[in-house]
Amino acid sequence: MSQSLRPYLTAVRYSLEAALTLANFSSQEVERHNRPEIEVPIQSAELLLQPMHISRNEHEQVLIEPSVNSVRVNIMVKQADEIEQILVHKFTRFLEQRAEAFYILRRTPIKGFSISFLITNKHTESMKTGKLIDFIIEFMEEVDKEISEMKLFLNARARFVAEAYLGEFVY
Amino acid sequence: MDKSVLSVFKLVKAPIYSHCLSQDKSLLAITCENKCLIYRFSAGAKQPQLVATLENHDKTVTAVDISIHGRIVTCSQDRNAYVWEPLSDGSYRPTLVLLRINRAATCVSWAPNGYKFAVGSSARIIAVCYYEQENNWWVSKHIKKPIKSTINCLAWHENGVLLASGGTDGYMRIFSGFIKGLDSKEIMTNSPWGSKFPFGSLIKEQYQGGAYVHDVQWRSNIEKVAYVAHDGTLNILDYQGNLQSVNSPDGLPYRALLWINDHEILCAGYNHHPVMFSEASQGWKFARDYDKVATANILEKNTTGSSTNSSQFGSIQDEDNDENPTFGISALRKFKELDLKGKVSLEQKENAHENAIVGLIPYAESNGQITQVSSCGLDGKIVLYNI
Amino acid sequence: MSDWRRIDIDGFDPDCRLTAKDLIPDYDREISLQELQPKIEQLRMLSSGGDIRGAIQLITEDPPYSADENTKKAYFHVVLETLSQVRQADIVNIVKELRVEQQVVLVKYLYKGMSLPEGQKQGGILLAWFEKLTQSSGVTPIIHYLSDRRTV
Repeated sequence: MSQSLRPYLTAVRYSLEAALTLANFSSQEVERHNRPEIEVPIQSAELLLQPMHISRNEHEQVLIEPSVNSVRVNIMVKQADEIEQILVHKFTRFLEQRAEAFYILRRTPIKGFSISFLITNKHTESMKTGKLIDFIIEFMEEVDKEISEMKLFLNARARFVAEAYLGEFVY
Repeated sequence: MDKSVLSVFKLVKAPIYSHCLSQDKSLLAITCENKCLIYRFSAGAKQPQLVATLENHDKTVTAVDISIHGRIVTCSQDRNAYVWEPLSDGSYRPTLVLLRINRAATCVSWAPNGYKFAVGSSARIIAVCYYEQENNWWVSKHIKKPIKSTINCLAWHENGVLLASGGTDGYMRIFSGFIKGLDSKEIMTNSPWGSKFPFGSLIKEQYQGGAYVHDVQWRSNIEKVAYVAHDGTLNILDYQGNLQSVNSPDGLPYRALLWINDHEILCAGYNHHPVMFSEASQGWKFARDYDKVATANILEKNTTGSSTNSSQFGSIQDEDNDENPTFGISALRKFKELDLKGKVSLEQKENAHENAIVGLIPYAESNGQITQVSSCGLDGKIVLYNI
Repeated sequence: MSDWRRIDIDGFDPDCRLTAKDLIPDYDREISLQELQPKIEQLRMLSSGGDIRGAIQLITEDPPYSADENTKKAYFHVVLETLSQVRQADIVNIVKELRVEQQVVLVKYLYKGMSLPEGQKQGGILLAWFEKLTQSSGVTPIIHYLSDRRTV
């Protein structure tokens, strides 16, 4: 693991550990509703806790927004050039379309981030908190690898296509 | 398993938000989704036996309590509370309580004499309920001011008048729950908390810096009240307003607390195991852990390397020692690793509770000292601890 | 009154819900940038003189909670300068000397730093601080940070 990735992931891990202390909380605004307070537009301010911003540099950041019964984790994946931007967009979109299989994945990321997770008290009650944190950390590790691997593949294919195509013009 | 764990009962697959024992410790009531389950409970038996299911609520039941007379009160996120009267054939007859609240009821507590109870709610109201003979109904009186947010917890003083509450607005408040005709003024004559206690008056309040107050408990004989908050602290307040605060040793906040004796408090919460705090000459401090698993600290892992992978790697290598170490081993290892993904290795020790503990109640006492404690958790377990 | 169903009945009860403003504790008065100036000078002097330990003690002792956003930002730039001048090896010892309340203040500055573009450029050093802090006191300062309504 590279030198600066480790403190980055450690910071995310500790922050998540602190944020994932959720309780079952019924809405104060709407009768008989129980909803993730972090996603509610107008509401009581005391139910939101202080947001936590963790950044390795301008391009790799995590924003953790905790509330009384839900936590939103937003990840900005490194995008060095246009190809990576396209790849990240396609990749996260692929996952988001299958969000129900991932339980904690949010269908759309919030503005400025590549992918968002929404963890509610239902999730922490049915799954182990430690494993949820492990999952997000592993996801952050893997996604960078995945993107750069895809980029390599893409470049290799582009080279091959270009050779095959331009080969026609070689005498 | 740790020595302090007496027994573990995995009762339901849903989180247990609240549990309660009857006066003689023979009945156990737990909340389970929108039902309340009653078990016959004896320390000798292997597993508690389900004797009754109380189902009138249509949303999650949030709290249950049993009075000294054996009446059970349940309250739920469907805004209602029921009092369940035990009948001779072992069943229960429900009576709806006129709570007059329009949001979820979150917590409930019988007064020590068993003639009234208090319900906390998300409607920023505490309803103190009592039985009205002429209407054959449980009616309520409201405490509204100055509550600004959901009530998380309630506790009655032994005198049945002082009511401590805590909520998400970050205040621990003590109100008077004096009901004319039910309570006598004499009981409060020498109370150090004040001289007049009209219903609903605010006796004391303590701001916890905006952190949610999760649980509050009285120690009546020494006139102290203790509460735990979301900033990971245990706080002890006396009638003079002296506040002592102590931090949780592993940082995570507590959801429940219990006075063991005048100088010891047991706390439990998101760290999955109970922790004892004790009062010494220089104030309250951490005393000891119960059922703490050495490897439970998941945060230790990542300092040693890349989280779980490396440890799995190690164990696999040990297994493969006698095989040919050069040929095909990397492919084999890769598949084994994939196979292990998401699985918990069996050697890993676990706490008795696999999720946060949300309730602590006394199970056995001797000489004013609690010796055994029962806890309920979000993992659907009831655990008995030896203290 | 055709849309009576849409009336926000809670709106008739003015103090039914807490707003972000209600949560901020009442300060006696606002600290202005002028009043902070001597402290900033002192900080600059300490950090340019290489006394990071003293500077951190000063930063975490009495943060200007009551100042307005602009003042906080101006003050934060000085804090960030100090934080980024430290040698990695010294962090451990400096962090160890802080009390819990001081560590909470430090965490506030670290999170604030990482949320601003100026701080993100220094992400590496802020993360190093964060790592050493969590190594010495675990999750405790972060838990305090979460529900603390006083911002830096």
